[in-house]
Amino acid sequence: MDKMEAPKGSGWRRRTLLSGLGGGLLAMPFIRPARAVAFPQRPIEVVTHAGVGGGTDITARMMMMQAPAELGGDMTVVNKTGGSGAAAIAYAASKPRDGHTLLLVTQSHILTMLRMRLPAQFDDLVPIARGTADAQVVMVRAGGPLASVAALREQGGDRSLKIGVTAVGSLDHVTSFGFARAAGLRQLSAVPFRGGGDIVVNLVGGNVELGVLNYAEAEAQITAGEVLPLLVLADERLAALPDTPTAKESGIDFSAMVARGYCVLKGTPEDRVARLRDGVLRAMRTPAYRNYLTSSGQAAGSAAGAEIWARQLAEYQSLSREALAELGLAR
Amino acid sequence: MEAFLGGMMVLADPFILGMTVAGTLLGVFVGALPGIGGSTTLALLLPLTIGISPVASLAFMGAVYCGANFGGSITAILVNTPGDPSASATALEGYKMAEKGEAGLALGISAVASAIGGIFSVIVMIVAAPLLARAAYNFGPPEYFALALFGLSMCAAVGGDSPLKNLIAAAFGVALATVGIDLTTGVERFTFGFYDLTDGIGFVPVLIGLFALAEMFDQASRQHTLGKLLKLDTVRIPGMAEFRKCARSIWLGSGLGTFIGALPALGATTAALVAYNETRRWSKHKHEFGQGSIEGVAGPEAANNSAVGGAMVPTLALGIPGSSTTAIMLAALVVQGVRPGPHLFNEQPTLLYAVFASMLAANLIYLVLGLYSAKLFARISMVPPALLWPTVFVLSVIGAYGPNQSMGEVYLMLFFGVVGLLFRRHGFSPAPLVMGLVLGSLLEESLKQSLLIFQDGWVLGFLGRPIALLLIGITVAGLAAPWIMRLQARLRGATEKRAA
Repeated sequence: MDKMEAPKGSGWRRRTLLSGLGGGLLAMPFIRPARAVAFPQRPIEVVTHAGVGGGTDITARMMMMQAPAELGGDMTVVNKTGGSGAAAIAYAASKPRDGHTLLLVTQSHILTMLRMRLPAQFDDLVPIARGTADAQVVMVRAGGPLASVAALREQGGDRSLKIGVTAVGSLDHVTSFGFARAAGLRQLSAVPFRGGGDIVVNLVGGNVELGVLNYAEAEAQITAGEVLPLLVLADERLAALPDTPTAKESGIDFSAMVARGYCVLKGTPEDRVARLRDGVLRAMRTPAYRNYLTSSGQAAGSAAGAEIWARQLAEYQSLSREALAELGLAR
Repeated sequence: MEAFLGGMMVLADPFILGMTVAGTLLGVFVGALPGIGGSTTLALLLPLTIGISPVASLAFMGAVYCGANFGGSITAILVNTPGDPSASATALEGYKMAEKGEAGLALGISAVASAIGGIFSVIVMIVAAPLLARAAYNFGPPEYFALALFGLSMCAAVGGDSPLKNLIAAAFGVALATVGIDLTTGVERFTFGFYDLTDGIGFVPVLIGLFALAEMFDQASRQHTLGKLLKLDTVRIPGMAEFRKCARSIWLGSGLGTFIGALPALGATTAALVAYNETRRWSKHKHEFGQGSIEGVAGPEAANNSAVGGAMVPTLALGIPGSSTTAIMLAALVVQGVRPGPHLFNEQPTLLYAVFASMLAANLIYLVLGLYSAKLFARISMVPPALLWPTVFVLSVIGAYGPNQSMGEVYLMLFFGVVGLLFRRHGFSPAPLVMGLVLGSLLEESLKQSLLIFQDGWVLGFLGRPIALLLIGITVAGLAAPWIMRLQARLRGATEKRAA
């Protein structure tokens, strides 16, 4: 739901307000044990490419409800919008690599790194933890000509189906590329829109035939019987969609999800990386965070440690590289 | 009906009523401050609303939204600085009225028109929201293309007296709209490597620069010659004669505003600009436009406030925000565990009607506020220039920096301040520029999307879209009207000559 960012509000004032409030409230009950070099010495900045109030911004703030207590220091969100993550990456790269800058990374950042020359590249990312992972679901119009997997494969083999994506060279575009290849479809013709909500409307309105969306983005239309979730691009079925088979069950070896997580940049001291990995993950295993995940339609287990997050980032990097080259969008 | 009454009952709860009043007052206040509009305020308050019940927080946010839209017109009229982008059309005539010493009249008609527009749209929303939610599916890229075309066709008539200068300004706006990553090719255009430009030129710095800063520059350079800010000899509440004169533009603005607001992705700013133009077109007193026409204040004010109600329709019924403010309200709803969509009307009607009820209340509150404290608000413009303009400058810088926390946007704002000053000096109006910027990207994107959707047969494709055809037909008729009328006049002249 990276795609459905709320337009930018002003973060500067609230940030000051929050850190002021949070600092005052949180510093009180925790008397920190003395350490040789105290970490964190100053507030940890969580750098996101999303505007205040967007889905990604909220993810960071939900993590930050508990993380300051776990880490024994304040946290603030820094919203550096612009350039599909480029501004956020450049900002993080401009900061000392001492663990006080946490970069919120999504697949968009990886695509941006592949497409633009930036001061930090994929190899500079040191994964900390994954915050959310939301399976993408292939959706069609309910009652339309593609309302079964067999119909999709048959018609998709004959002609190029129209799929709604969020932008050319976006996460959706890469997913649609990978899905078409795995399912043996002719390469899809992508129609770009501004956000997931637009895609749902155009799916119902019959302007596009396919969409890869998150469950929550189309929940209303699925419940209303206007959109049919055809295939879940995950290893297991979704709790919210027990009747929708996974792609693997239908013989298509492909999975895709919208993931958000945290990274620091290479050069950050090992012990601080370890502290961050531990503290951030623990902050996301709390009931409050789980509650946020389930209430926003995501799997309760989508917070995961550095190992899973690192593997996912690497897999995504290689798929994206291939897709961008094939689609003629590589740098 | 039961749900409707249940929703209205929430106003009997003193806490919720208190939140509504507080929200309206806050909204009017921040709306009046240039650069800090409803969306910024709601973003700032988002974390605070999480702690209270969904109904109370929605009532509060709905009230802030309504109040801010009205508040924006106060500064637009008094200092020619739209406090909220949606008031930019109000500044065109409202400030001229204030210069003539009719600031009180302009504020009064603005309050009345705003309240009528706001209440009209809430009533329409209550009746039609479930129906409009369905109609929205018929609005695809071809329809948006036709709509943007319709909007751009009006640019020649928006703003200054010279259609040619208006068209030049609009073309400049359309050119500016091409900056940023192209949605359909993913190619960066005219960004020169600046991250601040990759998502296109932001509306906020452009609007603050064109309106607030340019006004400051203009005032600063005229200070020693004129030596005064505004003449405010008469602060007068509008009477029946004025209302009668404006009735037509208020209803026109309310209807247009509700319709445009309800379209996903188009908000109050577009509604106000379109309404300004239509008010002028249908006015019996066309010569007053540009010299401080009271109708030119009433129309856009009714439109931008009715767009608020309209914008709630796609937000609640489809989960698609129609403006930046509703986008923040949408985020707040989701945080509260309320998922917007057509099913909301079946599952939680009371919550919906509570929002509507609070918006109705907010409209009434600022009507009272606007009518009875117009004199108080008028004092804002009595603030000595030496205090006022530095404050405007500081708020402009903060407003431009705030949303993205980027100095780049501040430089952009300064640049557009200079552009705005040059515009003024050479008889150009900023309004068509803003329209070109807003509609240009919509036009381009929806056309490219349409062509991708229709693939090879785009002619047949457009022929198969009745709504798009209708809008294109209206556009063509509007453009051809002057020629047809001239032709008619010439034919009539010819017959008369023959008769003689």
